[in-house]
Amino acid sequence: MHKTIIVAIREYMVSVRTKAFLIGLLMMPLMMGGGFIVGALMQGRVDTKDKRIAVADYTGRLFDTLEAAARQRNNVAIFQGEGAARKQILPRFVIERVDTGGADMQRLSLQLSDRIRKGELMAFVLIGPNVIDTGKNPSQAMLNYYSNTPTYDDARQWITGIVNEQVQQLRLEGAAFDPKVVRQLTQRVPVGNLGLVKMDAAGNIISAVETNQVATFLVPFAMMFLMFMVIMATTTPLLNSTLEEKTQRIAEVLLASIPPFQLMVGKLLGIVGVSLTMTAVYLIGAYSALSRAGYAQYFPWQSVWWFVGFLSLAVLMYGSIFIAIGAAVSDMKEAQSMMTPVMLLVVSPMFVLQNVIREPGSTLSLAMSLFPPATPMLMIIRQAVPPGIPVWQPLLGIALVLLASLACVFAAGRIFRVGILMQGKGAKISEMFRWALRG
Amino acid sequence: MNIVEIERVTKTFGDHVAVNSLSLAVPQGSIYGFIGPNGSGKTTTLRMIMRIYHPDPGAGGIRVLGEMASTAASDRVGYLPEERGLYKKMKVSEVLRFYAQLKGHRNPNPLIRTWLDRLGLSEYSDKKVETLSKGMSQKVQFISAVLTEPQLVILDEPFSGLDPVNADVLREAVLDLRRKGTTVIFSTHDMAVAEKMCDFIFMIYKGNKVLDGTLDSIQDRYGQDTVRVRVEGDNFDAQSIPGVEKVNDFGRLQELRMAKDTNPQSLLSELMKRGRVVHFELTRPSLHDIFVRIARPGADSTIPPVQTGVAHA
Repeated sequence: MHKTIIVAIREYMVSVRTKAFLIGLLMMPLMMGGGFIVGALMQGRVDTKDKRIAVADYTGRLFDTLEAAARQRNNVAIFQGEGAARKQILPRFVIERVDTGGADMQRLSLQLSDRIRKGELMAFVLIGPNVIDTGKNPSQAMLNYYSNTPTYDDARQWITGIVNEQVQQLRLEGAAFDPKVVRQLTQRVPVGNLGLVKMDAAGNIISAVETNQVATFLVPFAMMFLMFMVIMATTTPLLNSTLEEKTQRIAEVLLASIPPFQLMVGKLLGIVGVSLTMTAVYLIGAYSALSRAGYAQYFPWQSVWWFVGFLSLAVLMYGSIFIAIGAAVSDMKEAQSMMTPVMLLVVSPMFVLQNVIREPGSTLSLAMSLFPPATPMLMIIRQAVPPGIPVWQPLLGIALVLLASLACVFAAGRIFRVGILMQGKGAKISEMFRWALRG
Repeated sequence: MNIVEIERVTKTFGDHVAVNSLSLAVPQGSIYGFIGPNGSGKTTTLRMIMRIYHPDPGAGGIRVLGEMASTAASDRVGYLPEERGLYKKMKVSEVLRFYAQLKGHRNPNPLIRTWLDRLGLSEYSDKKVETLSKGMSQKVQFISAVLTEPQLVILDEPFSGLDPVNADVLREAVLDLRRKGTTVIFSTHDMAVAEKMCDFIFMIYKGNKVLDGTLDSIQDRYGQDTVRVRVEGDNFDAQSIPGVEKVNDFGRLQELRMAKDTNPQSLLSELMKRGRVVHFELTRPSLHDIFVRIARPGADSTIPPVQTGVAHA
């Protein structure tokens, strides 16, 4: 036992002092904060070149509205800031009227398409003759937007909105309704998204507060992401370190002093220590950031211990698998191909993430979160999303993960014992299973 | 007393018999040399003594330091694997401390300093292992094997790749260990080293013991059938002389193996007919020659049988 601790301490010290550990530590805030920083830098750096849009209005009653809306937009909506800081942040839309008199629609669209190919236009719009009154011939009641840049949809959405609003107005007028009255009558009812009403100790009823959408989604997601990052950052290096011990014949020296199983457990304990250190750094950082921003109440205290427990077991489970691979293969290239299926297991919770966050109480969520490779991450999410889950579920989850981890550690121990001393070619997966089963 | 007693031990890997019914006894305080071609079972035998491998179940067993224990690596045995065995990214003193602690040593620092000093490595104490030359890391490796003063030290190819100065330093250290009563087993491909240093020599070939005993007893079995000559003369060709079975040409010297019942005197007169004889020495075959006789492809079938289970004092 004493020797196991010595191995664990070495593994811990070596991991914590590497550059990879520091980089890993910075990685997560960078990835999460990086999006905001890049977004802020990119703002105002969009292409503000004019976008020319030709409009062939077969109704003859919509073009003027579009042009007026474009003028309004080009004068006001595309600018940000006041006074000297006023700056154009969006491109102008320049609307061009197309004569619909002569050519037929087919030929006209070909001509306009050619102009887009030549770069004279960004897009063109065909407004069918029956858009306002669809009764006569619904097939002519279309609004078609043509462009060769389909991923840029600002212009399309803008035109859709303007045209629809105007068409609605004209139809209401046509039916002799007062648009003002109609708007009043069809106004939507505002919806409040609230938690539950509580009663305090004195018997006063405390009214429910508005649910903070961001917090209820962000906190569970951040916790799962943190667990994923820590698992990835700490367990995968075990593969490398085991492979080094094997290829550098360090394992022989170690095995002359310590039995293989104790050696492996020592390495695992060291890495559990590393992952807890990482977690502590992040949680303390997150808490201080939240309390500085005045959101300390969103810090998930009730989940921290579960998080630590699940994370430790997940590290044991995945760490032992990576150790087994490191011991069985003979170089990094062989290791890569064996890692793929394991990686699939690690990311498996991501596939059902959406469903689980939306309905943490559903049977599918429960079943998925009791599948040991996915349990640590999914249980944490289900606990963190209100209303939470009955306590027997994470307890059962812990028990199952514990069993799975023990099975992994046991099997890995057998693979490790055989593989670590094998030089030359690496083992096949079938051989690894045979070692694990037969010992 | 014997530090290691191996009795009819067999080790197979799948269909491959790595070690076949081997018996061996290593007396306390001796230096025992393991020789044999690559892949003949040396390292397997060493690893079985280290208890890294376990012999096939059945007949015999291995007793190390009087214990039959089937698991648990022993703290009283030191081990130096072939060539590598150090964490590249760790500092020299850290690796040594780690290995010493694993052997159960609580405060190894003074010992580490002494040994680094002795092998001329003090200034590398805080350097990372990856910055060391091959010879230096071999010395560090050696320190890790002997640091905790084990009763038995097992060295796999300790002198390979060392320059003469470092080889001397290590050889002196090994001899010093023996003076203090430590038993040393080492494997080597350098027959001269084995001849000079070892009290006993053990040769394994294709998993079978083919030689075991003192250098004298081994050479005696082959008799004085070797002549070392230096003859000056044009187109000197010893092979054509009747009674010469084999020629080992070392350039300046040639080693002739005589066929049975050849008279050395008539060989000398034959030589004199062919050139000026500068050197003529009737001798026993060198260990090198014996090794080659056994392990050469199509080796002669005339190897004298080895007596198994030789008892040493």
